[in-house]
Amino acid sequence: MDSKKKVLLIDDDKDFLLATKLILEKGGYEVFLAEDGKAGVDMAKSVYPDIAIIDMMMETWSEGFNVVSRLRTSDTGKQIPLIMLSAVDLQGPYQSFEPPDELPTVDLVLHKPIKADELLKFVGQLLR
Amino acid sequence: MEEKAEYSARILIVDDEESILDGCRQALEKSGYQVISTSNGPDGIRLARAEKPDLAFIDLKMPSCSGMDIIELLSKEMPGIVLIVITGYASIVSAVEAMKKGAYDYLPKPFTPDQIRAVTKRGLEHRFLKIEADRLREEKERMERSFITFVSHEMRSPLVTIMQYFESLKVIADEGLAPNIKDIIDRCEKRLQSLHDLIEHWLDLARIEDGSFSENKAPLILNPIIERSIEELNPLCQKREIILDACLDDDCVARIIGDYESLIRVFTNIIGNATKYTPPGGKITVRINHDDYYIYVHISDTGTGIPQDKLPFIFEPFFRVKGKEERQKGSGLGLTFVKKIMDAHNGKVDVSSQEGVGTTFSLRFPRLYEIREPIRSSP
Repeated sequence: MDSKKKVLLIDDDKDFLLATKLILEKGGYEVFLAEDGKAGVDMAKSVYPDIAIIDMMMETWSEGFNVVSRLRTSDTGKQIPLIMLSAVDLQGPYQSFEPPDELPTVDLVLHKPIKADELLKFVGQLLR
Repeated sequence: MEEKAEYSARILIVDDEESILDGCRQALEKSGYQVISTSNGPDGIRLARAEKPDLAFIDLKMPSCSGMDIIELLSKEMPGIVLIVITGYASIVSAVEAMKKGAYDYLPKPFTPDQIRAVTKRGLEHRFLKIEADRLREEKERMERSFITFVSHEMRSPLVTIMQYFESLKVIADEGLAPNIKDIIDRCEKRLQSLHDLIEHWLDLARIEDGSFSENKAPLILNPIIERSIEELNPLCQKREIILDACLDDDCVARIIGDYESLIRVFTNIIGNATKYTPPGGKITVRINHDDYYIYVHISDTGTGIPQDKLPFIFEPFFRVKGKEERQKGSGLGLTFVKKIMDAHNGKVDVSSQEGVGTTFSLRFPRLYEIREPIRSSP
């Protein structure tokens, strides 16, 4: 048994999950997929991922933030690095969503689509 | 107006003559309208406020209060209400005056039940058309707003996913791809990237139109913004062997009122354009200076230049200057975005160019004078 690091991917776009899973697997990670926020939080409790990657916009504009909050207050999610994915430019001038009053902290925000080498580089860095 | 057939319009009558009130009430109730009435001016105003009638008949001459004042007040307070003045033959002049103050029509005394019904019908038609027009305008605005959401969800999301698949495809295939297949993938990726840029630019423009951008304006210094834009484009310039040179006036602390992120995109757009049209070995220079009133930024390249006859059109959406060779195409919206953002900053963008020599974009921003507000140096 090797000790592959576990990545939990949470996104409501099945194809995006699959595409990203393929890249991460090629990078030597064990990948777990969840198609919505609730499934993702539940899965985190059972698989104990080493890192989680969460899409910001799922059922709602800011569902990703809810997931991050719930992970951050759970035992499994407290310590691990979290990456937020976004198709909108989070720092952009025109956010059309209302962010929660207190933004839960993530370790990194990446914009979709993500270059394969960048994804592997950042995940590797955060897991070091 | 069929859907209104079941709706019983509410009509208010204010007249000091009881006989007129009775006559009107009978005529209108017979046609199925709800009628409320009073012989007292101030009561009329109270009733209008409480009952919100669709239409009101107001007698101009009443002892308790002037009908003209009621007209003036109600037309200001209740913009949708249709006001009709009741007036004696002798006072057509005052009827005209009332219409200037917001009445829609007038009804001269004496009148028959048919006449009041006809005037009522016309007045209500006017009201319902106006309501319908307002509703349609709101609907149109709502659709425009939701179209932005539609584009970002239904077009951008699948595109992003396809781009992600291409990334995974390259990773999985690793080095095992035949060169011709690799070439096809590269070409697909370029086209996908163009489409992605187009959608992003289009969304940028749509969001400028819906006004959400102006809320983010703050006092800022341009130097760090230009520096960050240059940082962003440096790798590309190095790859294309273009020198990117910035002569930033170090002590230029003059500020403007602006939006940090969209200004970065203004500069990356112009400098990015310059890289597209500048051959390897060329140079792009960014200079900033200021006087008492304005801050100027000049971005010059030693590129192919833009033909004089094309210059007036380069800020138009989807206008492209065709190069001799096939280059990576832009979205055709980049400079339109630049122009709109400059307009939104009360700024100005000019371009001068000489074919074979180069192009210079000159941006001018009005300087900010107040010095008490905190400087926003980062986003």
